[in-house]
Amino acid sequence: MFSKLQTRLTLTFLKIFLRDKQMLFWSLFFPVIFMTVFGFVNDQEQEPINIGLVNNAASTVASDFSRELLQDPLFTVTEGEEEPLREQLVAGEQTMVLVLPEAFDANADNGEIRVLVDAAQVRQLGMIMPILEQKLLAIERSFRGIEPMFSISLEDVQARSQRYLDFLLPGILAFTIMQLAIAGSGFNIVEYRRKGILKRLFVTPIRPRDFIAAIVVARTAIVLIQLIVLIAFAVFILDVSIIGSFAAFFFVVILATFIFLNIGFCLGSIAKTQQAIGAIGNIVIFPQIFLSGVFYPIESMPALVQPLAYVLPLSFVSTGLRDIANEGASLLQIMPSLAGIAVWLLISFVLAARLFVWKEVAS
Amino acid sequence: MPIIRLDNLSKRYPLPDNKKASFLAVDSVSLEIDAGEIFGILGPNGAGKTTTLEMLEGLNDIDGGSASIDGIDVQKNPFAVKKLIGVQLQANEYFDNLSLVELLTLFGALYEREIDALALLDKVNLREKASAKPDNLSGGQKQRFSIACALVNEPKVLFLDEPTTGLDPQAKRNLWDLVRELNGAGMTIVLTTHNMEEAEVLCQRIAIMDHGRIIAQGTPAELIQTHAPEPPAAPLHGNLEDVFLALTGHGLRD
Repeated sequence: MFSKLQTRLTLTFLKIFLRDKQMLFWSLFFPVIFMTVFGFVNDQEQEPINIGLVNNAASTVASDFSRELLQDPLFTVTEGEEEPLREQLVAGEQTMVLVLPEAFDANADNGEIRVLVDAAQVRQLGMIMPILEQKLLAIERSFRGIEPMFSISLEDVQARSQRYLDFLLPGILAFTIMQLAIAGSGFNIVEYRRKGILKRLFVTPIRPRDFIAAIVVARTAIVLIQLIVLIAFAVFILDVSIIGSFAAFFFVVILATFIFLNIGFCLGSIAKTQQAIGAIGNIVIFPQIFLSGVFYPIESMPALVQPLAYVLPLSFVSTGLRDIANEGASLLQIMPSLAGIAVWLLISFVLAARLFVWKEVAS
Repeated sequence: MPIIRLDNLSKRYPLPDNKKASFLAVDSVSLEIDAGEIFGILGPNGAGKTTTLEMLEGLNDIDGGSASIDGIDVQKNPFAVKKLIGVQLQANEYFDNLSLVELLTLFGALYEREIDALALLDKVNLREKASAKPDNLSGGQKQRFSIACALVNEPKVLFLDEPTTGLDPQAKRNLWDLVRELNGAGMTIVLTTHNMEEAEVLCQRIAIMDHGRIIAQGTPAELIQTHAPEPPAAPLHGNLEDVFLALTGHGLRD
């Protein structure tokens, strides 16, 4: 089905694309940096919260309490006088300062702890206060010899740890496919037209379908190579896990590349200048970056935009890739995403065929 | 024996400042170009020279009349015509990152031909640039390379659109030699030019176009006989170009 001419043209385009070293490098630079930053930022343990402790009481209850706090990995406790700690709080070095009253012992029925807070840090309070209450309750119980009625034990039902980066990788890859493919067809078409190359090709007996087939196949091969580099980087350097089958994963990748190459051909046919395709390209690309569940799940978006977000081509692609990578889903299990991808493939192909009129695009 | 026939060929464009009105960029042009001749189309900018060529090359739709090359109707069978012709366009940029040999091989592939790229480069005197990129060629070299690209299918008719515009005199004369050589081997060559000397010394027949119409045609001698005003009493000997060439030599500078 692939003619000799198409094969030779494809190889030529592969050569052209592969020799564009700068383009190859920079198109990988952004996703690599992105993954690395997110990999490190989200990989760290929760930072301990700095709290100051002013112990005005000399009782065993007070020292038990401060020992409990010191042992808790959630907190970094600084003990000291009220004045210096208060200054540290103002300077932002402490999140809060606890002041234990002198009458803080087993005999005092309602020992009151003063909590000095910075209003700017008030968001953290909701998290800290229950922990403090817990600690106090535990101390009180042990003093009074009361067994707790309930206890909670956590059990992780997921067999593997799911990090944000695991969630992010399929989204970043989907986004990268979109960028590379739209640039790879649309921007190239505009560039070739500006240079008069399309006009020159038009006066030879080449058929437009041969030209398009060659660009699509060559560009898809380049995108696959780039994705393999990115995935290798994510898996081996950043320790991201891909659970599902690579064959299924790349099947979706190839379909996605076709969709965005088609969209690129549409944009390249409409836009007459590099500036124009930059602008039109952004209209297509930007909303999808934010609405397609690349960085966070679509479910967490405002209800108003969700219906739109779900039907964007990048949404189907990133959801499909994520289900395969994170859940180990099979192609059969991601049928809804595949159906959406198929519909977009059809729409984008019909549009591209309509808009890419060889004679008009060339001259 | 005419190889190219234009019969009342017309092209209509909308006016730039009033999209509803239109004008005839090419207005009922009829012309016959014989096999084996170098035919020049002269005329000021906007006269319709390039549009006429583009209709013959299939780049532009024909709005009225008809044209045929080697008996094949340009409009009805554009792909058959494209196999017969070689085209050098005014813009002569190519894909980045491909060498001259690779580009020629690519053009050969477009005609589904295996070509000897080096032999073609020999023909246009560019063999030593075989592995260079077009970006690194001088203006004259670029034009010669464009002609090499136009020769990959051994065309019967070669179209050259302002081939010597912007070239220095050495490169220009070198290109004329190339055109004569190709013509000597039997190729029909149609070129547009603004250079009157080029038209006079290179072309066997000339058509002068203005406002989309052919206003005169014939051999250079006939046209001078019919239309040139009487020469001044004491003509100057030679012209500035002769001076320039005498001082800087005929050697090709690239």
